[in-house]
Amino acid sequence: MLRYSRGGRRTALFGAVAALVAASACGTGTGAGNDTVLIGASLPLSGPVADSSKPAYQGYKLWLAQLNKKGGLLKRMVELKVLDDGFDQNTVITNYNRLIGQDRVDLLLGTFSSKLNLPASAVAERNKMLYVEPSGGATEIFERGFDYLFFAQPSTSVDMPEQFVSWITSLPEKDRPKTAAYPTQDDPNTDVAIAAFREQLSELGVKTVYSEKYAPETVNFDTIANGIASTKPDLVVHGAVGADGAGLVKAFQKQQFSPSLLFQTNSPSLVETYPKAVGARNTEGILTSVAWSPEANHAGNAEFVRAYTNKFGTPPTEDSANAYTAGQVLEAAVTAVGSLDQDKLADWLHTHTVSTIVGPLRWDKRGVPDGDLLLAQWQNGAFEIVAPAEQKTTRQFVNPKPEWSS
Amino acid sequence: MTELVQTLVFGVLVGGVYSLVASGMNLVFGVMKVVNLAQGAMLILSAYLTYSLWKAVDLDPLLLVLVTAPSMYVVGWATYYLFIERARTTDPAMALVTTFGLALITKGIMALLWGNDQHAVTPAYANRSFTLGSLHFPQAQLYACLVAVAILAGLYALLRYTWLGQSVQAAASSSDGARLIGIEVRKVRAAAFALGVAAAGAGGALLSVLYPFTPSSTDHWIGLMLSIIVLGGMGSLPGSVLGAVLIALAESLTAAYIAPDWATAVPYLVIILVLLARPQGLMGIRLREDMSRA
Repeated sequence: MLRYSRGGRRTALFGAVAALVAASACGTGTGAGNDTVLIGASLPLSGPVADSSKPAYQGYKLWLAQLNKKGGLLKRMVELKVLDDGFDQNTVITNYNRLIGQDRVDLLLGTFSSKLNLPASAVAERNKMLYVEPSGGATEIFERGFDYLFFAQPSTSVDMPEQFVSWITSLPEKDRPKTAAYPTQDDPNTDVAIAAFREQLSELGVKTVYSEKYAPETVNFDTIANGIASTKPDLVVHGAVGADGAGLVKAFQKQQFSPSLLFQTNSPSLVETYPKAVGARNTEGILTSVAWSPEANHAGNAEFVRAYTNKFGTPPTEDSANAYTAGQVLEAAVTAVGSLDQDKLADWLHTHTVSTIVGPLRWDKRGVPDGDLLLAQWQNGAFEIVAPAEQKTTRQFVNPKPEWSS
Repeated sequence: MTELVQTLVFGVLVGGVYSLVASGMNLVFGVMKVVNLAQGAMLILSAYLTYSLWKAVDLDPLLLVLVTAPSMYVVGWATYYLFIERARTTDPAMALVTTFGLALITKGIMALLWGNDQHAVTPAYANRSFTLGSLHFPQAQLYACLVAVAILAGLYALLRYTWLGQSVQAAASSSDGARLIGIEVRKVRAAAFALGVAAAGAGGALLSVLYPFTPSSTDHWIGLMLSIIVLGGMGSLPGSVLGAVLIALAESLTAAYIAPDWATAVPYLVIILVLLARPQGLMGIRLREDMSRA
């Protein structure tokens, strides 16, 4: 058996302490040298929303590659340091503190989901650093009077119902849903969106027959689906964040319950994984709200879709586009201001419009843009935009949603 | 009334699988008083093995229990001799830390091999149900529950009616006494640990059909297993079956009648309540803290 002598132990201890000191000295360096601009971000690359953050990370990578190809920022090459937060609020706080305090990054990019951006943006604000977030549209994020926070989507979660409710309103009264169920993950983003749906649909006379939240860790949706099915709603509006969207659909299939209308937030826009999870034919008629369309005629959008597909072998998702957009916003501000002065960058963004692949973005003093979200629907295995009229990719609207395919 | 019966059906079906998942951990604790915190990682590792095999050979994933359980037995056996035995003889607390470390390492390896994306095994019957009147019996849950019950019955018979099983019980009761009657306690402990990991191997195959999983799923399942064996009684195999069914029913009833938001908190509430009211669990035996153990 291997045993240390007392002297050996002392030597081992000394060695360990020396190694720790050396490691810590390395960790407190000044980050990138003067010849590069270091950007820091955290993403939930592991955990329950890893499916969404991988395309987002690829969106950041593509933007970075294109930026460096053009000569970088301020004539310096740009590096991106991304840490994994595992979809944990404590970890995301630690990561941004580390990026700012230890790695001394020059600029920040946001993480994913309202749950993570809520605390992460507070760390950036406390350190007076610009924080452009690709996701995180919960209302409470923008109600804290932050000066350095900017949202890189056309609109926030509270606007999710807009196009859908307009479409319901356009239906003859006899064709409108009479009852609705509102299951939602307990998440700052979906909470706000589902509350807005419920309020606006109730005003139209749609009666609420089910309204419950479930924990983010939930993987078994059988009991929830049974509870919803027992109320027989015409419409289900589901506040989904990631894989929970497919989880509820699969539980509905087991219950042999198919609502006439099904709207889910976020999940159906995972164009690579969602059809595989629920079965391609079962996506037919499912609705969602998105910030971006691959077909949209915005400057640079077609090039983005082509470059992303070439680089990663799969088409971009909405999350990829949002991350790329956040990069575009940051790039525009630094290029226009000509320095990394965080105050000047924030001031510039508060007073200028930035052309992005999700359309022109301009922000109010809270960092909220004034654009519109799009209403999308799965049709014949394709993800189509069905509203607003000027962004439609199809004239068809599947209503009612067909029964599940076995 | 139908909703209540349906909720109970869901609870019982899931409880069967929970029983198998927790029984391995309880067996290990019963024999060597080691809380194997790597059991959740072993469970998810087996789920990934099932996924890869299912993709490769396209066999029914529930049949793959015949491959994953023996494979995980070997993993458990090697783990015992390489890590657990040494840590256990140094200090019982060291064994706990060792299993925690093994859990982290296994989690990292799974992330490297399979990535952090969600995986799920989806045979043709995954989203189908049998219908009896207005009740639905999800096929995957039903088959998984039946397989779990069959494996548990086999495990019970092995422990009760075979020489190995009786040696395991003797070593659990008194290792010195077992040595006196000629039992090689070291080998028996290794077999018991490997059996516990094999149970996780079987459970992982069933779980892969029922729920999506990532390497991080280990945290959820270790919490659930701990609550089941704390409720049922640490070291009691029948206790883990009872604890599993009660927790599964509590989760289902909470989701249906209180709020789905509270369902995932049920296992943790159970741990707190049981430790306050009946620390030995429902079927555990209360021992004096100052009683010397062999």
